[in-house]
Amino acid sequence: MGYGRSDSYRVATTQDKDDRSPKKKKGAKDMDDLKKEVPITEHKMSIEEVCRKYQTDIVQGLTNAKAAEYLIRDGPNALTPPPTTPEWVKFCRQLFGGFSVLLWTGAILCFLAYAIQAATEDDPAGDNLYLGIVLTAVVVITGCFSYFQEAKSSKIMESFKNMVPQQALVIREGEKVQINAEEVVGGDLVEVKGGDRIPADIRVVSAHGCKVDNSSLTGESEPQSRSPDCTHDNPLETRNIAFFSTNCVEGTARGIVICTGDNTVMGRIATLTSGLETGKTPIAKEIEHFIHIITGVAVFLGLTFFILAIVLGYSWLEAVIFLIGIIVANVPEGLLATVTVCLTLTAKRMAKKNCLVKNLEAVETLGSTSTICSDKTGTLTQNRMTVAHMWFDNQIHEADTTEDQSGASFDKSSITWISLARVAALCNRAQFKAGQDQLPILKRDVAGDASESALLKCIELSCGSVRAMRDRNKKVAEIPFNSTNKYQLSVHETEDLNDNRYLLVMKGAPERVLECCSTILVQGKEQPLDEELKEAFQNAYMELGGLGERVLGFCHVLLPEDQYPKGFAFDTDDVNFQTKDLCFVGLMSMIDPPRAAVPDAVGKCRSAGIKVIMVTGDHPITAKAIAKGVGIISEGNETVEDIAARLNIPVSQVNPRDAKACVCHGTDLKDLSQDQMDDILRNHTEIVFARTSPQQKLIIVEGCQRLGAIVAVTGDGVNDSPALKKADIGVAMGISGSDVSKQAADMILLDDNFASIVTGVEEGRLIFDNLKKSIAYTLTSNIPEITPFLLFIIVNIPLPLGTITILCIDLGTDMVPAISLAYEAAESDIMKRQPRNPFRDKLVNERLISIAYGQIVTAGFALGGFFAYFVILAENGFLPTTLVGIRLNWDDRSCNDLEDTYGQQWTYEQRKIVEFTCHTAFFVSIVVVQWADVIICKTRRNSVFQQGMRNKILIFGLFEETALAAFLSYCPVTHVSHGNLWWFCAFPYSFLIFVYDEVRKLLIRRNPGGWVERETYY
Amino acid sequence: MSKDGEKSGWKEYIWNPRTREFMGRTASSWGLILLFYVVFYIFLAGLFALTMYVMLQTLDDYKPTWQDRLATPGMVIRPKSDETYEIVYDTRNTETWDLYAQALDKFLTPYNNSLQTEKNKECTPDEYFLQEDTGDVKNNPKRSCQFNRTILEACSGINDRYYGYQIGQPCIIIKLNRVIGMLPGKDGQAPFVTCAAKKYKIGKDQWREDTDKIGEMVYFPPNGIFNLMYYPYYGKKAQVNYSQPLVAVKFLNITTNEDVNIECRINATNIPIGSERDKFAGRVSFKLRINTK
Repeated sequence: MGYGRSDSYRVATTQDKDDRSPKKKKGAKDMDDLKKEVPITEHKMSIEEVCRKYQTDIVQGLTNAKAAEYLIRDGPNALTPPPTTPEWVKFCRQLFGGFSVLLWTGAILCFLAYAIQAATEDDPAGDNLYLGIVLTAVVVITGCFSYFQEAKSSKIMESFKNMVPQQALVIREGEKVQINAEEVVGGDLVEVKGGDRIPADIRVVSAHGCKVDNSSLTGESEPQSRSPDCTHDNPLETRNIAFFSTNCVEGTARGIVICTGDNTVMGRIATLTSGLETGKTPIAKEIEHFIHIITGVAVFLGLTFFILAIVLGYSWLEAVIFLIGIIVANVPEGLLATVTVCLTLTAKRMAKKNCLVKNLEAVETLGSTSTICSDKTGTLTQNRMTVAHMWFDNQIHEADTTEDQSGASFDKSSITWISLARVAALCNRAQFKAGQDQLPILKRDVAGDASESALLKCIELSCGSVRAMRDRNKKVAEIPFNSTNKYQLSVHETEDLNDNRYLLVMKGAPERVLECCSTILVQGKEQPLDEELKEAFQNAYMELGGLGERVLGFCHVLLPEDQYPKGFAFDTDDVNFQTKDLCFVGLMSMIDPPRAAVPDAVGKCRSAGIKVIMVTGDHPITAKAIAKGVGIISEGNETVEDIAARLNIPVSQVNPRDAKACVCHGTDLKDLSQDQMDDILRNHTEIVFARTSPQQKLIIVEGCQRLGAIVAVTGDGVNDSPALKKADIGVAMGISGSDVSKQAADMILLDDNFASIVTGVEEGRLIFDNLKKSIAYTLTSNIPEITPFLLFIIVNIPLPLGTITILCIDLGTDMVPAISLAYEAAESDIMKRQPRNPFRDKLVNERLISIAYGQIVTAGFALGGFFAYFVILAENGFLPTTLVGIRLNWDDRSCNDLEDTYGQQWTYEQRKIVEFTCHTAFFVSIVVVQWADVIICKTRRNSVFQQGMRNKILIFGLFEETALAAFLSYCPVTHVSHGNLWWFCAFPYSFLIFVYDEVRKLLIRRNPGGWVERETYY
Repeated sequence: MSKDGEKSGWKEYIWNPRTREFMGRTASSWGLILLFYVVFYIFLAGLFALTMYVMLQTLDDYKPTWQDRLATPGMVIRPKSDETYEIVYDTRNTETWDLYAQALDKFLTPYNNSLQTEKNKECTPDEYFLQEDTGDVKNNPKRSCQFNRTILEACSGINDRYYGYQIGQPCIIIKLNRVIGMLPGKDGQAPFVTCAAKKYKIGKDQWREDTDKIGEMVYFPPNGIFNLMYYPYYGKKAQVNYSQPLVAVKFLNITTNEDVNIECRINATNIPIGSERDKFAGRVSFKLRINTK
């Protein structure tokens, strides 16, 4: 395939596994083995040797007995599914992970307490039973929720399975038999024809015009021919091997099966991919960290007070009830659900911007990403060969490669251009597929290879219908492209009906085409091809080649009528016509141009502190040209080679530290030690890896991760899937991506556009900030839930806040405002700062705890709540002085004449109603203070007056919270009495924390890096 | 290897000699943050104290702001055994009833005639003893009416030191909870206590009354009234020596050796019947069991 320098170079692999000294880490030996290159050597053997190796016959095939024997020995030709965790185990993991254990403990204690009460009392209070039921429900519902979230992902093997061909045609004992592909064994003689899937890795023994599509394996989109000859040492590049699960596009081939099932190249990638440990996402780590802290605190406090209660002489039952209270108060029950909802909302928002998130947690990962390893083809580029430059009339003209064809054009009236266009249109086998006349030219599908399609579209755009032109110039004869000639020619009738001469047109590798020419067309006139013009040709060729473009030469000649009269029989096998002394017309060069939005996106990534690394299977020159084009190698930065060329010194003399950019070749990569690899990744800011294999992609990703980076990988082919899986976040392409890559990825770009990643990064960073706010908000209502218990036990006052009320706060009023914070707009340009450091910037850090627990809470909640509590009791006759130590009598059911400060006497039920009123008051106070708190949490640095109140969901949240609080306090169950006093008790405290926090943020803004920022900026 | 690293990491965290950091902070850093929190909390404590002070200033010294919870005053009985409202004893076993007698003795001590005459005023019966303030001028301290122990006659414990317990005719003393400003009864009709057998549940939708077992009862003062002169109550601060009126019930021939469930309730037209849930609002129930064999 291809001319110019278009030989397939997408995949550079090595097969010399045995040559390399095994350098192994301990353990994971198999995995390391898989990371090595493909160990196929059969392509270098002669057919006889291969037959001998597999004890097969080139004509007869295997005997049935032998085949059966091999089948037993090697197993079926299918991919082994990885061991899967049973569904119920997964479900249980969700049900008993995180806070669930704590809540289960709480629920069980509740049931236990109720059971004891039921057994000992005539008329047990239902509180504990209800609480237990509510807790159980909370755990089960959140468990199911996360289980279904998880169940959606991890289906990699299924998509690999889809690639297994159903049937295969094998020759056994000389007879062609159709068998199940699973029964194919090593040594089988198989036949494939156009449209088939290759049943196993086969060594081709004979082929007729066979072409295979290796795109799923290598990423190369052009079909490649297959023949029995070994053309390359590398098994992935040689023509005599066809790979399992790739497609045969046209022609037929016969070959000997050399690998089956998991041993095939595809099988190895599959095993590698599904066997890779992905590790936890950064946000999962953060949440785990957070859960550990909270659980630790809950268990510590719970046990301390349990023991304290026992020591203070409370009964076991009471102590257990305290323990439940403290656990319930400590665990932010609604938080995990809040986080999930926040992530889901962001995921939805991203889906609208063409980023489909498969794994919820990946939403944030993109935000912490510090390195993006991007594939070139299709992601950075349009994956569409386009004519970029033309050289004719001794001048380089720029063709328009933009997606909307808005670029500058050139003079189309030149005769040379018309000739060039005619050659390009006629000497071209590509044609538009039928029924697309309404579509814009650039969007139409073309049957034919990439270069010819590019030419076809270019000519169609500038000169109108190519088909009409071809109809006018009927094709008489044609020599298709082959690798020995390196050109393609065809003979046509001329347009002019009176002119009976034939037109011969040729295109091909420029140097080959030039050899056939003696004249050159300049300004419409034929001129002899002298040294000067040859030099000009050379310069143009070099220049275009240096841009990483694929250059083609074009020439034509009008065959003299006397030698080739009308009806002359052109024989293309035994060339009986002139192929020398042609007239050179010009050069056209093609490139897969970068997408329009990519340079901007790369620039944004850079200003966001994200390193963009290009990892491609393409040739270094092309890769470098595109890298420069999109800004991955920025202007003015040089590679070692550039410096050497500029200073005119050998590459070895250049200090590698001087070069910021680096283009690293896949073949060099395999010789690098881990340290050298780290060295490259650390010391170069702009790196391009060219000609890399799937395994090397994986190694690059691991290298980046070793340096502490959070790595995003983009890719579309099966060959990318190990790297996609290994990456902290794998990004697959929605349009061009293979199913396997989509399954391995965490995120799918629906428009295949790199620029969408930038949106993803922005959303990811925003959600991290907003989750901090959400957590700060949720946590602040946590401490005031504990303090009532502590004072209840220590100071012996009536309980200020009941466990049911705590649940009302955690699962009721707090939820919507906490979620609404996810909608908060960014405070500053989040794309202008460095990615977060996963070791330093924690989701929940000591400053957040200090702010949430130490300052806001005590200032607002605890004091506001207690104030309301004291007010309610005082107004009913129990002044604070009376309250201290009253608890024992207060909770004594038999004491029905408890005296208050004024000398009145109360029955148990009467004072319990007051106590409930206090719970309600405390609860309402918390809601009131939460108003201020949610406004405080809106921003971390800006004043709310700068940020504004544009978050509609948040405003809704405020109203919802208030309405719910009003409902809960006025519904008959909660025993409300007299007035709405408690609504106002917490107002001063609410106002106080608001002012306090505004002052704090003002100080942070005024003194960047000052003490206030260091101690309180979370 | 890794464990050692972890250990030294911990050690370093607790005390890092290089940077002179204790738990990740230097001395001055600790000092600053502690100072901040001390100042911050002192400020908060001050603020809380201030708001509490302001709130307490708004309260009336003599009457709480809200009394609606006490619309139906609670009723309790004496003697009260701990935790339960059950009076169970054996006439043959002195120890089992002696503590009831002692408890009543103790309870009635403040009602001794000598004490009452010394401290309290003899009021006009059957009318409220109103001592209203005139505008802002407080009419304090307010006097209280005498409730002499002798009013309880046979249940006063003066003639019968054991309140009839030893002969199976026990006295139960009933009091109505104090509520400031409450004026029970209407049109000179004093509130009075009646006791009767209590309906109690023995199974699903099955109720039983011990009416036949309860026998004859005598109330002291007669008819079991709370005389109007003991109302209204002006609160602990204004009316220091208030004597809460009592009603005694003496069971004359209650069935012995069986549980008898009794419920006493206050009868006054202007006292609402308490909620179903509160078993002590305007009523009180207890179980009496006297064993004789």
